[in-house]
Amino acid sequence: MSQGLRCFIVLVLVSMPNVVFAHSENGVAIDFKGGFTHPIFGPDHVIAMVAVGLWGAFLGMPAIWLLPVVFPLVMAFAGALGVLGVPLPGVEIGIAVSAIALGTMVALAAKPPLWVAAVLVGAFAVFHGHAHGTELPIGADAVAFSMGFVIATGMLHLAGITFGALSRWPAGRIAVRTAGGIIAVIGFVYLGRSL
Amino acid sequence: MRGLVLAALIAGLLMATSPAWAHAPIMGIGGVFGGVLHALLIPEHGMSLVALGVFLGRQQSATRRWEVMTFAVALTCGLVLIALVGEAAFAADCLLAATAVLGLLIATNWTPPLLGWLLAAVIGLALALDSPPEVGSTEEAVRMLIGSGLGAAIALALLAESAVWFRGTGPLIATRVLGSWITAIAILVLSLRIATRWATG
Repeated sequence: MSQGLRCFIVLVLVSMPNVVFAHSENGVAIDFKGGFTHPIFGPDHVIAMVAVGLWGAFLGMPAIWLLPVVFPLVMAFAGALGVLGVPLPGVEIGIAVSAIALGTMVALAAKPPLWVAAVLVGAFAVFHGHAHGTELPIGADAVAFSMGFVIATGMLHLAGITFGALSRWPAGRIAVRTAGGIIAVIGFVYLGRSL
Repeated sequence: MRGLVLAALIAGLLMATSPAWAHAPIMGIGGVFGGVLHALLIPEHGMSLVALGVFLGRQQSATRRWEVMTFAVALTCGLVLIALVGEAAFAADCLLAATAVLGLLIATNWTPPLLGWLLAAVIGLALALDSPPEVGSTEEAVRMLIGSGLGAAIALALLAESAVWFRGTGPLIATRVLGSWITAIAILVLSLRIATRWATG
């Protein structure tokens, strides 16, 4: 093979590869997968959302589905504020406190009135939503990203509800309450870091 | 040698090209059928139709059918408008806002018929105004518009009639969760679009 032909082949191959977007400008992939993995790769968010599901399962009907309905609604409103650049102080502290409070509720098997639980979950969703909103990549494939994001959040709640369903049995109840305690402890760790 | 470099560059650039899709990729399908698919495969439009279908499925039978008719009339008016005037820039935002309200109504299980009429009209109009046919010839554009109208109207009628069966406790909870997700998605998409518009001037 002549040197010229080899050079030609090398140049063709070099100019062929597609661009690989590992991240967007803000460090987040901008499609459905990026949206889906966004809440999952934030452990502080994960434990709080699982705790919502656990608590809902512990409280029974209608909290089991009402809390996971309240959370994404409030989270999206707060997320919009974050996307639009409206500041909210103490977001990281709020997220850590949400894990502590929700984990403690599960650990203590607390059963407040439904509206109290809904208000508490809604209030904490503000911090989670705002944090996600400020991290969302501008210029993303908005529909695919948002769908992935919201579905992943719902799946985390569902994971919590599924695990929380173990509380029907005495041993399962201990396991669920222990999980709540662990979530609260992890929340304290995040609180220490954020202070 | 320079000729080879130039040939390599041209070959490389030609191979590196990717198609530009304004909307969902429906390669090689045009006309009425392309319009039908256009109406069904755009995620925002699909989400709006599902939300409106679920909402209408909770209405009384007669009210539901009149609201589907309202949607069809508004859709037709929108398609005529887009054929005469062109795409309306605010239509996509309007569609998302109306979808967010619908999701909220589904999540709260509140189905006021009057709001149903209004939202059916707004979504019909906004959906049509957000469906510009991306083809060169006028005849093809008209065929696609007719297809878009037919696709959206038939899809909504089917969804609304199917949603009637989702009235038991389990399905009701599932649709309420779905409603909250639809609202959350619509709000996030709307805010991302507004922020992108601000960022790009």
